[in-house]
Amino acid sequence: MFEERTGRDTANLAMLLFRLGIVITFVVMVARMFQLQVVQNAQYESLANQNRLLRIETPAARGIVYDRNGTILVRNRPSFEVALVPEDLPFDDLETTIIDEEAQEIEKVLRILRADTDTDVALRMAEILFNKLGYEDYIRTVQKAGAELTFLDDPAFVTPVTDDGRLTMAEPRKVFFPDIEQPLPLAGLVALVQRAVAIQSQGSASDPVAILDGIDRIRAFEVSEDSFRIPAVRVNQVPIREYIYGDLLSHVLGFMGPIPAFAADEYEQTGYNNPNEKVGLNGLEFTYQDELRGEPGVRFSERDIVGVDVRTVGDVVEPVPGLNLFLNIDLRLQRIMYDALKEKMDELEAPWGVTVALNPQNGAVLGMVSLPSYDNNIFAERIGEDYLELEQDERRPLINYAIGGLYPPGSTFKMVTAAAGLAEDVITPETVVVDAGPIFLPNRYFPNDPTQAQKFVSWNHKNGVVHGRLNVESALALSNDIYFYYLGGGYLEDFQGLGQRLLSKWMNLFGFGETTGVDLPGEVTSLVPTDQWKRQLFAEPWTTGDSYNMAIGQGYVLATPMQVLVETMAVANGGTIYEPRVVHHMTDANGGVQKDFAPVLRRELPIDPDEMAVVRQGMWDVVNADYGTGRAARVPGVEIAGKTGTAEFCEYIPEKQDCRRDDKDNLPTHAWFSAFGPYDDPEIAIVTFIYDGGEGSAAAVPVTQKILQAYFTEIAPRPQQEQTAQQQ
Amino acid sequence: MFARINWRHFDWLLLFVVLVLCGFSVAMIYSATHNSPDLADYWQRQVNFVGIGLVALFLVALLDYRQLSLLAVPSFIVFILLLVAVYFFGDTQGSGSQSWINIAGTLVQPTEAGKFLIIIFLSWYLSWFRDSMHKLPYLIMALVLLFTPLILVYIQPDFGMTITYAFLGGALIMVAGVRYRHLFILAAAALAIVPLLASTLQGYMLARICIFLPTDEVTGQINAPILGFLRTTFSSLPSECVQPGANTAASYNVDQALIAVGNGGLTGMGWAQGTQNQLHFLRVRHTDFIFSVISEELGLIGAALILLLLLFVVWRVLGIADRAPDQFGKLLATGVAALVFFQVVINVGMNLKVMPVTGLTLPFISYGGSSLVSMLFAIGLAESVAMRHRKIEFF
Repeated sequence: MFEERTGRDTANLAMLLFRLGIVITFVVMVARMFQLQVVQNAQYESLANQNRLLRIETPAARGIVYDRNGTILVRNRPSFEVALVPEDLPFDDLETTIIDEEAQEIEKVLRILRADTDTDVALRMAEILFNKLGYEDYIRTVQKAGAELTFLDDPAFVTPVTDDGRLTMAEPRKVFFPDIEQPLPLAGLVALVQRAVAIQSQGSASDPVAILDGIDRIRAFEVSEDSFRIPAVRVNQVPIREYIYGDLLSHVLGFMGPIPAFAADEYEQTGYNNPNEKVGLNGLEFTYQDELRGEPGVRFSERDIVGVDVRTVGDVVEPVPGLNLFLNIDLRLQRIMYDALKEKMDELEAPWGVTVALNPQNGAVLGMVSLPSYDNNIFAERIGEDYLELEQDERRPLINYAIGGLYPPGSTFKMVTAAAGLAEDVITPETVVVDAGPIFLPNRYFPNDPTQAQKFVSWNHKNGVVHGRLNVESALALSNDIYFYYLGGGYLEDFQGLGQRLLSKWMNLFGFGETTGVDLPGEVTSLVPTDQWKRQLFAEPWTTGDSYNMAIGQGYVLATPMQVLVETMAVANGGTIYEPRVVHHMTDANGGVQKDFAPVLRRELPIDPDEMAVVRQGMWDVVNADYGTGRAARVPGVEIAGKTGTAEFCEYIPEKQDCRRDDKDNLPTHAWFSAFGPYDDPEIAIVTFIYDGGEGSAAAVPVTQKILQAYFTEIAPRPQQEQTAQQQ
Repeated sequence: MFARINWRHFDWLLLFVVLVLCGFSVAMIYSATHNSPDLADYWQRQVNFVGIGLVALFLVALLDYRQLSLLAVPSFIVFILLLVAVYFFGDTQGSGSQSWINIAGTLVQPTEAGKFLIIIFLSWYLSWFRDSMHKLPYLIMALVLLFTPLILVYIQPDFGMTITYAFLGGALIMVAGVRYRHLFILAAAALAIVPLLASTLQGYMLARICIFLPTDEVTGQINAPILGFLRTTFSSLPSECVQPGANTAASYNVDQALIAVGNGGLTGMGWAQGTQNQLHFLRVRHTDFIFSVISEELGLIGAALILLLLLFVVWRVLGIADRAPDQFGKLLATGVAALVFFQVVINVGMNLKVMPVTGLTLPFISYGGSSLVSMLFAIGLAESVAMRHRKIEFF
């Protein structure tokens, strides 16, 4: 048969090629396997690990905050939340079409939680689910379940959030909110929970979905007991940051919240792997976020494709608790400061006020009050409505005006001018200027036309008083403006003043052109005005009048109360600028000191101690001389020095195209008082500021006096009996 | 005419290797399914299928393969009629192609048995007209007979089965012997109809092929010259043919299979220890992607061994073809070898991402009654030929 074949066809070759193909296939496939399994093994292994391993962080206990006496200011209060684990809920058995097993189980849970009878529970659940599902999904789900939903009549403005629920920087959006004050019927809640569970199952069915929080310990035990037959229910302890003194310290302590979207990358780069982690957003919670946070514990959970937690792989790293902060702030003084300022502001109906105290020997901040304040517990407990109210308050209570508000410092600035004059030898302590009434600066272009001249008055001229012959000390004591006009800008040919350059130099030296460096976020500063600055901004040259205004802390001079306090500190301690510091030291969980903050010295002012003594003497006179403007600040048994300030400001009213003025055409004024004591060896420096508070001597001085009086009697009592006995 | 059955010529080594492969099959199916509640008993079922398959193997081996030539023509006609019926009354099951038909209440997929019917029929035709095959009309007739079922399967559409039929038919015709002159004429004709073929290629088929084309590292698009060719050839391109990586859903199974293979390393993660497999990142792991399970858990060494055993089976069956007593037997054995070889190449290639996804199972290893029983049936055919080989025997 076969021998007939000629060999001119493919039969034999095909068999040969087939065998060759087998060999080639084996070689190629094994080579490919070698490439995948040996050469690229590490790469695929990491891909496989990415598939299966989930890094789970256990948050560390956040650090506790104490005041200087060890009183707890912030702690972590245990609170409980109820959550459902999607994978432990029964599936809806499709054979029983009428009954939804999952919905039944959820309803059972909700009844245990008393969502059907307790309106508070129903409202809170609706709120949590509203936040979880978002505006649209919430409404759609409730309406699909056939439950009644009422809407608020007025539209609300909401700040858009990202998909993972973080605040964005975008403009608020106008929406009609469902009225979450009206409790939802149970069917609606069941539908919402079911929806939230369904969404979670798409991610990981092993991770619980919180449906109710803020439960106390007793109720948590009850729920655990009642639901022990329902495998899906988890009762978790979630620590809540508790700010024990609320409004009293909110600007210092700050608050926490989810990582904002615009900073998400930064946080991630510094080891914040959980995008839902709450971080400090303001105050010390922000500044010391990393220290307070500690080191979260880590374990790797092996997940299968639907996200079920199979087991823990590798070692479990236990969390390291955060460091505890011990503040320089004295809670008692803080309360005194708060009450004193609030009382005065209520009396004056002033919108904003600040009082800050520190130790001038090292910059330790002893107390800091900015009003209006707010309760930072609102942020801890996510109470939506209160937060909305806070956000819409026109006075912006979230801002710490002690470091975040810029105001003309007025006469409290005069120590800078005085110190500059003495140090730069423009004046001596004996240099005399005569206040004989308002002075006039001739118009630059019409020097011979007196009607075009610019008039400069001192505050006392309005009362029909002239102060006559003044030296620097008495000018400070009387807060006479004429003296400082001469000193700042000179007068015609008669008197050579400091001028813009030296004024600016000393303003910088006293720390007005820079933030003070206090360990709180949100600090602002204004620029120190200069000739160049004015030309760039207004296209006008610097005038003598500008120097006049600058010399008395008006015009282009703006400062935060904290900057004025730093100025006061420098005078009090003889010329040293420290950075204000709120935190004294930090300890770890075992009480060991982890970081002790030494005073941070910024600079020594280039001024002779004798010359600074003259400025100090001027401040002494303000309080202790018969003619001083701050006589009301006297504290029995302690020598106080201070400086009043009554700073005019312009509140522009568009309709009038002018600043707000009273019937006598006077501008409104901020009330200032800066002080320190005891005079010989100062241990406290303080600045009080009341926005639109009128006269410094009438508004700010009494507040300060009350604080100092309390400080020297209750907090740091003088051994005055002994001293007076010795003197006698 | 009928040779006596001679068990001395039964290829016991071939059977032994096949049984070893079946043993691996049961073990790997257990590993792939034991923690899926719905599939947990599949390894037991596979044991049953092995039993049924062995019975089929021995029955077929006992049967004289030459009797099959009587069945060749009528069974082929029934097969064609069934394919036509499927075209008009067929059902669609799961995979998306209309390839099932309801006969007396049972769903039947004629294409699976069709592999054997084509082998038997073409072997019969090519041996029956053996002396005329050097004439072109006879060759063209063979091609027509091959293309009739092939086209019917192609329009179902069942891409995997189409190329299987094409390979089987091609291999049989080539082994039967084609004059080189005719071969060149046919090759030229084939090139001429490529554009026609291209225009009928279903979008999903094209997409499956496209995810294998080389891409530009930077843009992720298919290399410009190839993309240009595709654009001119096809009126509309599926997205996979522009940016293969963009459709992760389409390439998910293959990518996960590749991760499983790579994750295995040289020695594997150990039986029932592969994370891709055990945590179910690997899809259809007990059927299409069982080779990935083997690669992940037994490593390069285990996977290469399995591959070696599979190709040994092919080699061995080719040996049977060489020793066949007649042309029909030779072609039958060659067809069996070609069938096993083709499925091994396509399935392993798919697991290693060097071949497109076709849904062809790995012979002897993949889970599935019809797949396993038909493969053991095929080995039975080869054994039937082996036992009647033409060597002179000395008693």
